[in-house]
Amino acid sequence: MKPYRCVFRMGIEKSLEYRADFFLSLFSAVFPIIIQTFLWNYLYGNEDAAALFGYTYNEILIYTLLAGLVSKLVQTGLEYQVNEDIKLGGLNKYLVSPVSYGRYQLFSFLGEKAPQLVIMGAVAAGMIAFSVAVLGLELSPMRVLIFIVSLVLALLLNFFIFYSVALLSFWLTDVNLMFGTVSIVLVVVSGGVFPLDIFGEKLELLVNLLPFGYTTQFSVNIINGRFGWTQIGSGFLCQLFWIGFFGILARCMWKRGLKRFTAVGG
Amino acid sequence: MDIIKVEHLCKEFSYYKKETGLQGSLKNLFHREILTKEAVRNVSFAVEKGEIVGLLGPNGAGKTTTLKMLSGILFPTSGNAVIDGFIPWERKNEFKRRFSIVMGQKNQLWWDLPASDSFYLNKCIYDIDDAAYRKTVEELSELLDVRELMNVQVRRLSLGERMKMEILAALIHRPQILFLDELTIGLDIISQQKIRDFLQYYNEQTKTTVILTSHYMRDIEALCRRAVIISHGQLVYDGELSKINHLMGDKKLLTLKGIGEIPAEKLAAFGRVREKKGAETVLEVPKDKLRETASAILSTLHVEDFTVTEVPLEESIALIFKKEVDSL
Repeated sequence: MKPYRCVFRMGIEKSLEYRADFFLSLFSAVFPIIIQTFLWNYLYGNEDAAALFGYTYNEILIYTLLAGLVSKLVQTGLEYQVNEDIKLGGLNKYLVSPVSYGRYQLFSFLGEKAPQLVIMGAVAAGMIAFSVAVLGLELSPMRVLIFIVSLVLALLLNFFIFYSVALLSFWLTDVNLMFGTVSIVLVVVSGGVFPLDIFGEKLELLVNLLPFGYTTQFSVNIINGRFGWTQIGSGFLCQLFWIGFFGILARCMWKRGLKRFTAVGG
Repeated sequence: MDIIKVEHLCKEFSYYKKETGLQGSLKNLFHREILTKEAVRNVSFAVEKGEIVGLLGPNGAGKTTTLKMLSGILFPTSGNAVIDGFIPWERKNEFKRRFSIVMGQKNQLWWDLPASDSFYLNKCIYDIDDAAYRKTVEELSELLDVRELMNVQVRRLSLGERMKMEILAALIHRPQILFLDELTIGLDIISQQKIRDFLQYYNEQTKTTVILTSHYMRDIEALCRRAVIISHGQLVYDGELSKINHLMGDKKLLTLKGIGEIPAEKLAAFGRVREKKGAETVLEVPKDKLRETASAILSTLHVEDFTVTEVPLEESIALIFKKEVDSL
């Protein structure tokens, strides 16, 4: 078996080892959705809310459900591991064996994510069915397919963003607190809590230019039918561009950081 | 043939100090005085293929730093090292396949999964074929007596069991060179003994070259014929272990038990009294005067029991460490 396939498989085994943690983390995704539903209920009690936000009440509920789900799906967590490896010298074991640390982390991350994806996939199917049946979402099989492709890319993009952030540990010894802040900010600016286009066109443009929206909002806008085909096409291009950008950024950071690590000690 | 050749290896670290208390912390927020520490200074030695060499020195002497440079984890500030034709810090994959490093205080196995999973991962990483892999695992797990534990999660293993698994994992690709850093630290006597026996056997069978560090002299005495001693980053001794006592003045210890207590001043005439507890006394005697001193004691004093021993190696080595400090 090829090394990274083996790492991937071990990632799966690892996440299955902790069943309770796994289900609790699923459960924790439900709360923000409930809170937001209440919030929207209150806001849409106001007559012209729909006109103001550009979303009908049902549309905003669909968005909240799907965005909560997508941001959970693409969530990482490897930054803490990377920080610990760099800070406490766990990195050494990767340096002395013929593997690439970045690829090792990527496949271990994907492996750990895989069982979650299967369960979340089922939940997502349920939610989408609910949205179609109750909230009046219109859906074509083509959109579902494209949605799935965009999710895979979003997962990769989020990995590279957080991997780059994690590599800051080479320069800043303890960045755990920063990780917390970064991940909260990123969930918001990626549209994981509410759609960012409710703040008007200028902000929407900014969101389209920045990489973060492509980890969550982009995928949701595919499945909820808000994006037309041209928007989807250019969205994919942007997503791919940002994956490449952060991939290269991480590579450069790794090279420079490693020089520092091996010069200073581990 | 030398498989490891180290020449004038140096390593400097920069660090900063913090004064006690909050005030010191606040001061450090704005200004950090950068200091330099020379962890390894001009160390040179060579190791032959199949040799086991003990790398000794007090805490902070630079042993681990040296091993880290030899395994390519750290860049040296200056100096050279060639291992089996490779420069370690170039970190070529070909080089990485030739050695392993095991650190007693670091965990290389996947914590949440059984050790067998980590072994299999190493098989994939080093691209070992199935038959060779199975043979290695079977043979080594038998020798290390861990066959029953292969499918237990690493986090559930005792420290001794885990250490054996670490060693096994490091040997999956049959490295030609093995660096062992404080392997037996924190282990009980039986586990230490087991690991020692295993390493000895393994070295005899496979002619693997080993550099090991340990604070337990028993490890060193059992495994190494040769010791390289560093203190404050500098090499202070490189030679046979058995000659260390010679270097330190060639003394023997006479332990005698008198019939009734013998007065100290009477004993002092024969040699330096190191220890006296009731009727039992330990005398330090120059080696070349041992015979005459012993017969003189036996003919003049009432002695019930009498033994001759070497000065413990720990003491000689501690003296070497100390001598170095005094000469600084």
